[in-house]
Amino acid sequence: MIENWFLILGFSAALLAVGLYALLTMRNVIKLFIGFEVISKGVSLALVGTGFARSHVLLAQSLVITFIVVEVSIVATALALIINIVRKTNSLDVRKLTKLRG
Amino acid sequence: MIGQILLLSGLLLFSILAVLAKDLIKSAISLALASLILGIIFFLMGAPYAGVFEISVVAGLITVLFMLTIALTKAGGDVRESKISTLVFPVFFILVGLIDIFVMKGLLPKLQILQSGAETGTFAEVLWKQRTFDLVGQLAVILAGVFAVLALFRKKDNHD
Repeated sequence: MIENWFLILGFSAALLAVGLYALLTMRNVIKLFIGFEVISKGVSLALVGTGFARSHVLLAQSLVITFIVVEVSIVATALALIINIVRKTNSLDVRKLTKLRG
Repeated sequence: MIGQILLLSGLLLFSILAVLAKDLIKSAISLALASLILGIIFFLMGAPYAGVFEISVVAGLITVLFMLTIALTKAGGDVRESKISTLVFPVFFILVGLIDIFVMKGLLPKLQILQSGAETGTFAEVLWKQRTFDLVGQLAVILAGVFAVLALFRKKDNHD
């Protein structure tokens, strides 16, 4: 059981690394949010894996459900924001957002 | 054990594909497949409710939202990612992996595990009785999301 836990934690850390890479290097705004989604997958995997290893799956499940609801809310808001950004700047490039206009 | 490793590897592979694919639609589909595999892993771990949520909400709803956004922002055109960033990926991945292995080996055995009693009752009891405050928080977050989307898509007032 504990070996399984280490395996799951390792994979969730790998998912975190992939998401972090996307957040640090990508220029496309939608890609940034795909990176955020990958990170959230790693977190929910770590939560359920820890619950499974410590025999508290029910609690882990309820936490993951709360996490998913928060995630959906964030993604809906962020995508609405992205659509507004594209309407204003006509581009998905994050570097265009540095040009502030008064 | 081997099946679990295969599923976890599939999850990682599709996540990497989602990040590195040049076409945004391919990225969104890879992300949905990764969510599907994560849902299956949840089912195998004895967490069916989390699995159902993961597959229906994350693999379904969020993918639809992503597709919709990609379709609505086609005017934005392609964004050129820097070539160096793709080359840096393996180095970054191995570096983070090594740091992770060292930290986990050094830190995890030293962590004290909190003693707690065995879990009793059903999922509904845990969710509705033990985590009631979480549900209030969920409602607040959903309302905040709805108001945020409404505010972002409101029609411009003629008087402004």
